[in-house]
Amino acid sequence: MTPDINVLVLTGYGLNCDHETAHSFSLAGARPSRVHINSLIDGTMNLENFQILVFGGGFSWGDDHGAGVIQAIRMKTNIGDTLLKFIENGNLVMGICNGFQTLVNLGLLPGFDRDYTRRSVALTFNDCGNFRDQWVYLKINSDSPCIFTQGIDKLELPVRHGEGKFYSDASTLLHLETNNQVVLQYATSGYEPAGLTFPDNPNGSVSDIAGICDPSGRIFGLMPHPEAFHHPTNHPDWAREKEIAIRNGKTWTPEPAMGLKLFENAVHYFS
Amino acid sequence: MPYRLEITLKPGLTDAEGGQIARKADHYLGLALESVRTIHVVTIDADLSEDQLKKIQTGIFTNPVTQISSFDPLPSEFDWSIWVGFRPGVRDNPGATAVEALEDLLGLKLGREEAVYTSRRYCIRAPGLAVDDADKIAGELLANNIIQQWRVISKKEWDPETGIGFIIPKVRLEHTPTVSTLPIGTDKALKKVSDERNLALNPNDIPTIRSYFLKKDVLTARNEVGLTEPTDIELEYISQARSDHCNHNTFNGLFHYTDLSTGKTEKVDNLFKTCIQSPTLALKEKKSWVISVLWDNAGVGRFDEDHYYVITGETHNSPSNMEAYGGAITGIVGVYRDPLGTGKGSKLLMGSYGYCVGHRDYKGDLKPHLHPRRLLDGVIEGVKDGGNKSGIPTSFGQVLFHPGYMGKCLVFVTAIGLMPARVQGAPSEIKTTTPGDLIIMCGGRVGKDGIHGVTASSESFSSHTPAGHVQIGDPYTQKKMHDFLLEVRDQGLIRFLTDNGGGGLSSSVGESAEFSNGCEVTLEKVPIKYDGLDQWEIWVSESQERMTVAIAPEHLDLFMALSKKHAVESTVIGRYTDSGKLHITYNGNTCAYIDLDLMASGFPQWEFQAEWQPPENRGLFEPVIGKPKECTPLLLDILSRPNICSKEWIARQYDHEVQGTSAVKPFIGKERDVNSDAAVIRPVLSSEKGLAFAQSLLPAYSAIDAYHMTACTIDEAVRRLIAIGADPSQIGGVDNFCWPDIQFHPEKNPDGKFKAAQLVRSCKALKEMCMAYEIPLLSGKDSMYVDGHLAGRYGETRKISALETLQFSATSLVDNVATCVTMDAKMAGDLVYVLGLTRNELGGSEYYEQLGFTGCNVPKVSPGPFKRLYRALNNAIADGLVASAHGIFRGGLGVHLAMVAMGGNLGMTIDLQNIPSDQPLRADTLLFSESAGRFIITIDPKKKNAFQKLFKDLPWGCMGTITETPYLNINDTDGSLMISASIQDLKSAWKTPFGDLI
Repeated sequence: MTPDINVLVLTGYGLNCDHETAHSFSLAGARPSRVHINSLIDGTMNLENFQILVFGGGFSWGDDHGAGVIQAIRMKTNIGDTLLKFIENGNLVMGICNGFQTLVNLGLLPGFDRDYTRRSVALTFNDCGNFRDQWVYLKINSDSPCIFTQGIDKLELPVRHGEGKFYSDASTLLHLETNNQVVLQYATSGYEPAGLTFPDNPNGSVSDIAGICDPSGRIFGLMPHPEAFHHPTNHPDWAREKEIAIRNGKTWTPEPAMGLKLFENAVHYFS
Repeated sequence: MPYRLEITLKPGLTDAEGGQIARKADHYLGLALESVRTIHVVTIDADLSEDQLKKIQTGIFTNPVTQISSFDPLPSEFDWSIWVGFRPGVRDNPGATAVEALEDLLGLKLGREEAVYTSRRYCIRAPGLAVDDADKIAGELLANNIIQQWRVISKKEWDPETGIGFIIPKVRLEHTPTVSTLPIGTDKALKKVSDERNLALNPNDIPTIRSYFLKKDVLTARNEVGLTEPTDIELEYISQARSDHCNHNTFNGLFHYTDLSTGKTEKVDNLFKTCIQSPTLALKEKKSWVISVLWDNAGVGRFDEDHYYVITGETHNSPSNMEAYGGAITGIVGVYRDPLGTGKGSKLLMGSYGYCVGHRDYKGDLKPHLHPRRLLDGVIEGVKDGGNKSGIPTSFGQVLFHPGYMGKCLVFVTAIGLMPARVQGAPSEIKTTTPGDLIIMCGGRVGKDGIHGVTASSESFSSHTPAGHVQIGDPYTQKKMHDFLLEVRDQGLIRFLTDNGGGGLSSSVGESAEFSNGCEVTLEKVPIKYDGLDQWEIWVSESQERMTVAIAPEHLDLFMALSKKHAVESTVIGRYTDSGKLHITYNGNTCAYIDLDLMASGFPQWEFQAEWQPPENRGLFEPVIGKPKECTPLLLDILSRPNICSKEWIARQYDHEVQGTSAVKPFIGKERDVNSDAAVIRPVLSSEKGLAFAQSLLPAYSAIDAYHMTACTIDEAVRRLIAIGADPSQIGGVDNFCWPDIQFHPEKNPDGKFKAAQLVRSCKALKEMCMAYEIPLLSGKDSMYVDGHLAGRYGETRKISALETLQFSATSLVDNVATCVTMDAKMAGDLVYVLGLTRNELGGSEYYEQLGFTGCNVPKVSPGPFKRLYRALNNAIADGLVASAHGIFRGGLGVHLAMVAMGGNLGMTIDLQNIPSDQPLRADTLLFSESAGRFIITIDPKKKNAFQKLFKDLPWGCMGTITETPYLNINDTDGSLMISASIQDLKSAWKTPFGDLI
């Protein structure tokens, strides 16, 4: 364990997954702090004391004017340089759902050619026309440099969003794919590509993209919620699987929840 | 000068919103539209330079990857362009966040007169679409005239340079705030004032109010502060406090109950005291887990040694009926302030919903303000935005269709919170105000919105109901306030906390001042949205997202520093005293001076005549039905009935997993598409302990007898918890009554006496069930006047009253969530049991409804024997003997066998002859009777003996087995095959009715 890994989980202004995100990091062995955006901006809290920065889920500023847009403006206007320095220093940044939306609006993702200011991809309204809560199957690109997904090839997580459709123009997409910056893709239950088919691909994301990283693999954004799978009973099938396991003569010892792997990878990166 | 920025998606990108509109135009209005593109309009009414405008255009309002924008009208191909914007004074949430973003980016503060407004312009391509149809799309799909305004512009009329022009929905009141003195010379004069000012004072209250103001010592005291006759603000305060909504005059009333069949009469003095308070207090004595009930904004039960859970349920019927989205979002966001404002404050854990509306495909003559389909769409969306944006999982819900809800819909919203057992060493559930404490208002500002909401919901809906009370909740502002108040609580700064809901400051300050016995409010300090509000309006406005907090003066600096950190507006508006008076001043002049104890004494009790006639004397009878021969299509048709079929599209829009607590989700089973009996969450992330929650609604039985409706509703909620594996000894309840008007009037309410009798019977059943099942009522509310006067085909109006409705919510605890059992069949070869007796109880059933009957034999609850069965099942689940457990609810055994099979995607073979019944019953009765107290259980055959042993002397039967072949096969009592349907066909029947909705 690496008890001295400090994680800053942002709160305030309508963010809402901070408690379970912090909890997931503490299960992964880190020391998380829930920090209000304003405490970071006014210097009450100093980013230098942290190794991992999490932009978590929620509805920052109500998600009016595009999900994550105003949060990105507030961060960029007030502590843009601090963020860039944090990245330069080799630390990790994670953006989950609203956080992912914020990272792409900040330009921290995709971060081509170490340009962490340009907005070149977007997360826009789901093609299905509505907010949707469902569990998805995710195929993980093992060639990706992403720190968070090392050693995992598939994953089940819930999505809960109205603006999760990943969109970029064809050349940006090609660039992402060639760089192996596409980390997670929506898949069928057999882990075949979802092929844009609803509901396996719940939002119409191009190339079924659910998560990307920057070229270094240290900045990672995803629409699904790994912090919502930190306990075995978070999974929708656990009661079935438990009964079936018992019948097959196994005592049911709950597997560690798969969502935690992402947090453990982040923490182990520093050990 | 104003600037107007138009923003739209780049050509070629899917416009999902436009697509939805085109689909609805087709499905709802039968209008074929080629395409709809949405343009977002941001109108900036502020002095900004060209550079600044450019900066916000690219920095905030235009996504470079997906959008284009222009300060000139965007060129777009259309046949009709429809602009939709808010009316002045309606809450524009995106407008408010635009100001925040703009100020941040430009590093400036907008002036008092400056603002940003958002609106939309839809570009519709539909060659040949008539102007009337375009208008219809505007008025019936895109906008609601209560909160919005619109313009329909044809291609020909469109001026590409001016576009829609500049429409600035700014509130200009041009009014100097004035306190008026109102004449109370005679009862008639006060009645006139009440009518003119929409005070809705009860005529019986008028003499009491007058005699108070005419009392000599009162007059003398008033003269000393410069007052004579009552002021408008004082009468408004009394009106709010005395409204049925706040004061529960109906439940506190005196009922003269007569059973016309026996001639027996009975006086029931105060339904609340006899049927709700007394059983709950008796049970509180017995159950140490009941922490705080019957006085605060919500009830409190112990979750574990260090945590309490906090629960309440509300309705928001009248506002939702007029503006479905606004009413529902205000309802859910509003009910979340109740646990937040309970004790010293709790964190919100989960919410749930219950919607009762007219049929979605209603095609009759009645013209409700909103068609049930549109109303339901709006309500669903309101709770979606309100719940999701609050970061609170919406984990359970129900929808019920019945023509009786055309007059007024029901929107139930329930909230659960969690608080630490102690805050800085002090009990968290205890709060009080003491003289000298500061009165602080936190959160939103005060405007004209919500004025007279409380009194309007205490009346039935008519064309004269003021529209001004419709609001749009703002979950964003409230979430900030929620986070702020919890931090303030944890620092030990909160002495008293309550929300500003119905009645606004009038209720919150008035009620909190009763603890210290007095207060002084400096009304001019209250932050307002715009100038020109009268003092009484500030006092009673129900502008949302506000809490009233009492703190010690020495904590003010720290409190304000935290308020600033969380970007929440907080203002000291007065202080608590022990003067016995509610004393309000405005710029130093007294405008209200009333004895606080006025409300506690002297008002006459409401009285009701209640006359009961048993169903058989009302012409109800058991229909004569020959045994059906085609039972497979019958079962499939019942599965497709609107109140049985899948409504997955609703719950999928609701985030039911945020906070990471979800342990049993709304959807379970092999394909995660069948409804679970209850929701289970794990509120403390570091603990394995769970909180189970379920609700039920069975108003159909009220057509026969509201006593049995109530008993069955409570029994269903209990069984839902038992089936999931929750503890039967720690069940808490929340009652939400929604009743039509019960005050008899020979012309206006000729059946009032019967409805009053139904209420008395319902309350008696509530008491008996709660005592029998040992359920303390942690919280509850009543909403009367569920009636509406709808225009008919010939210009007449018709009064439509809802069925007498009770929503019952139940909570209990689970020691370890991993012991919970879900309802889906798990393994082929498992044995299928029925627990409980089936009786000839088809009265009010879905089966009878399908065939057009009501019947008489309504299901009855026998809590004594039922309880023994529930205990035994609880033990079986605890011993790990049960593979799946599911209550038999609406639709009966046939429907719920199908649910268990569909859940497992497995087949089932069932023999009806093995079903225990009180007398030999025909197959259709066995399959569709809705007898209470029953379950379907599947178990591992190896556990057969151990399982059966637990149910010795209790009614049970082994009905059959789970099969790999995915067919539900049911054999008649003579052994012949009567139903054979593939799981796929069952699912298709159950999922198709609303299957194309997302």
